[in-house]
Amino acid sequence: MTTKRIVVCGVGALGSTAVQYCRNLPAELRLVDFDRVESKNLAAQWFVKQSVGKNKAEAARLQLANFYGAKAEALGVRLAATNAAQLLAGCDLAVDCFDNADSRIVLSESARAAKVPLVHAALAADGTFGLVRWDERFTADREDTAGQATCEGGEHLPMIGLVGATLARTIQDFIRDGIRHDYLVSLSGCVRTT
Amino acid sequence: MTILNITYQGQSADYDLDIDFAATDADIQRIAVEVVRSGGVRGLHIPELAQNAFHQFVVDRLRSPDGEQRIYLRPKVPFGGLA
Repeated sequence: MTTKRIVVCGVGALGSTAVQYCRNLPAELRLVDFDRVESKNLAAQWFVKQSVGKNKAEAARLQLANFYGAKAEALGVRLAATNAAQLLAGCDLAVDCFDNADSRIVLSESARAAKVPLVHAALAADGTFGLVRWDERFTADREDTAGQATCEGGEHLPMIGLVGATLARTIQDFIRDGIRHDYLVSLSGCVRTT
Repeated sequence: MTILNITYQGQSADYDLDIDFAATDADIQRIAVEVVRSGGVRGLHIPELAQNAFHQFVVDRLRSPDGEQRIYLRPKVPFGGLA
């Protein structure tokens, strides 16, 4: 198996969780996130106390290196139409773990233009449902209201784990065999839809 | 025959539906309320389900790996970062 390059866009709850499960893939991980780790993030994201205050992409890179000896590249920038082509350059796969529709749409348009396969992962606000879906069948959902509250206290962590693990398996299947499966993830199970 | 899959409050179940695959989202949402109230969806029987329970839900129309027509009624999924 040749080494692939994967760019993970958004290293928050889903992104950081999926990244830790991708640590043994024959792949180079490129992590993109402009945000910083806050104390409240420790309840629902794969970050440790020592990472508070660090850029999320850099914090995830350091944790992969320090805990597992896994290498990754960290880019602490906000993905936008002006830099997306550069961030996707040379990548065999893009992974969308953003938390807003606008960023998802920019990434979709950029990945299509660059002909980079793209898989999305997303969660419902109440933490009871999530999905993993390839770009050709994905439409970004918007919040019901701007700034809609969601997982403040980490109560959705088990569902984040389920969706993050499903995403990691989807990435693994693609890297190994080129397969593109979609999944719905609910509390009653994980259903493959394509 | 179309399979309608409904995901509600963390539970997901199928229902055989005799309806045009291209039925409107509003029709799907309305029918889903009726079948969930009636107990027709195994594991999802909620007699007092609100009429607008699926008002904000998304309708996906996909073909399964074996070519089956499937309609998925599901919550919106706007989040990934949960900052």
